[in-house]
Amino acid sequence: MTEPSNTDRKVTSLRELPQSIEPRHDLWPGIEARLGDIRAADGATPAQRRAVRMRWLAAAAMVACVAIGVWVGRGLLPGTAGSGTVAVNTSPPQAVQPPVNAVPHEVYVSDPRYQEQRAALVRDLQARLAALPQPQRDKVTASLQAIEKAKADLEEALGHDPSNALLQELLVNTYQDEMRVLTDVHEASDPGRGI
Amino acid sequence: MPHEQAEDTRVDWEGALVQRARTGDRRAFERLYREHAGRVYGLCLRMTRDPQLAEDCTQDTFINAWRALGKFETRSSLSTWLHRIAVNVSLAKRRKSGRVESPPAEEEGEACEWTLETPVEVHEIESAIGELPEGARDALVLHALYGYSHIEAAQMLGIAEGTCKAQLHRARKLLRERLSVEVN
Repeated sequence: MTEPSNTDRKVTSLRELPQSIEPRHDLWPGIEARLGDIRAADGATPAQRRAVRMRWLAAAAMVACVAIGVWVGRGLLPGTAGSGTVAVNTSPPQAVQPPVNAVPHEVYVSDPRYQEQRAALVRDLQARLAALPQPQRDKVTASLQAIEKAKADLEEALGHDPSNALLQELLVNTYQDEMRVLTDVHEASDPGRGI
Repeated sequence: MPHEQAEDTRVDWEGALVQRARTGDRRAFERLYREHAGRVYGLCLRMTRDPQLAEDCTQDTFINAWRALGKFETRSSLSTWLHRIAVNVSLAKRRKSGRVESPPAEEEGEACEWTLETPVEVHEIESAIGELPEGARDALVLHALYGYSHIEAAQMLGIAEGTCKAQLHRARKLLRERLSVEVN
């Protein structure tokens, strides 16, 4: 079956048989052609694929943030914007000095005021939601779920590229969007107000 | 020791090539191919007994290796890793072609020596190995020719260690009959 060199040579051990046998012709051109196909199919090396995935995640998160912002701002709560009664500050905290090398979203979520406000809003979210009509309740629930998904996607993307400024900014925006929705629900379910 | 130094140099050089290949450097991967193609093809040919099929297996082995380079741990042997892939590819090709053989009952103990009482020409031995049943040939090629331990060969073939030993026992018996030489 094989054609190793010195086939007439005599041996006394199977270990003396040649381990290496040259193929009848060079197989590299065929392999290289198929590597080209893989490149075309897969798009890039693993590092490049990761970068592409990151860009897609960032783009998806950005679209989600914009969509949520537009939805909350225009569709869901048309009468509440700029009413002057918003008790919760959704801007990034200014009073806390960020540590050196701190990333924006970490500064934002670690701020005690943010944590207290969010905890209070989340605590009575279910009660507030129950006070809303069913269609609005569904919209708010879907909106909060979309925000959760966006946060998870962005956090995963930041896990791969922690210093990506765009992703950090998007994550802060998403936290702010979440606070805005929670605040609007809080206000909109007050007696005498409506969505 | 000059030999050890040469081995160290070869391993470092190979590790560097693997790193470069991982970044998509095809020239580096080609050099790895040139280094290992003969041994991979030799293994595939002995497992498939078909030069055309062995060439396909060799190509698939390197394609699969290229795809999986990210998972390869540079501390382990590239040669062994490629052989594992080659065995998997060869077994899959054989399965596809419908040639399936039931393994013998497990057996304990089989000496590691594969020496012949009297010298035999290479082509005679190759021919006798080629005529062995697949299971026995696979175990023999990995253990006696390529030097893998029973457990390594068994893992590569996806069989129990006892089954591997039983296949080796059968291979020894059949070789002895076909070569008319005592195989120790």
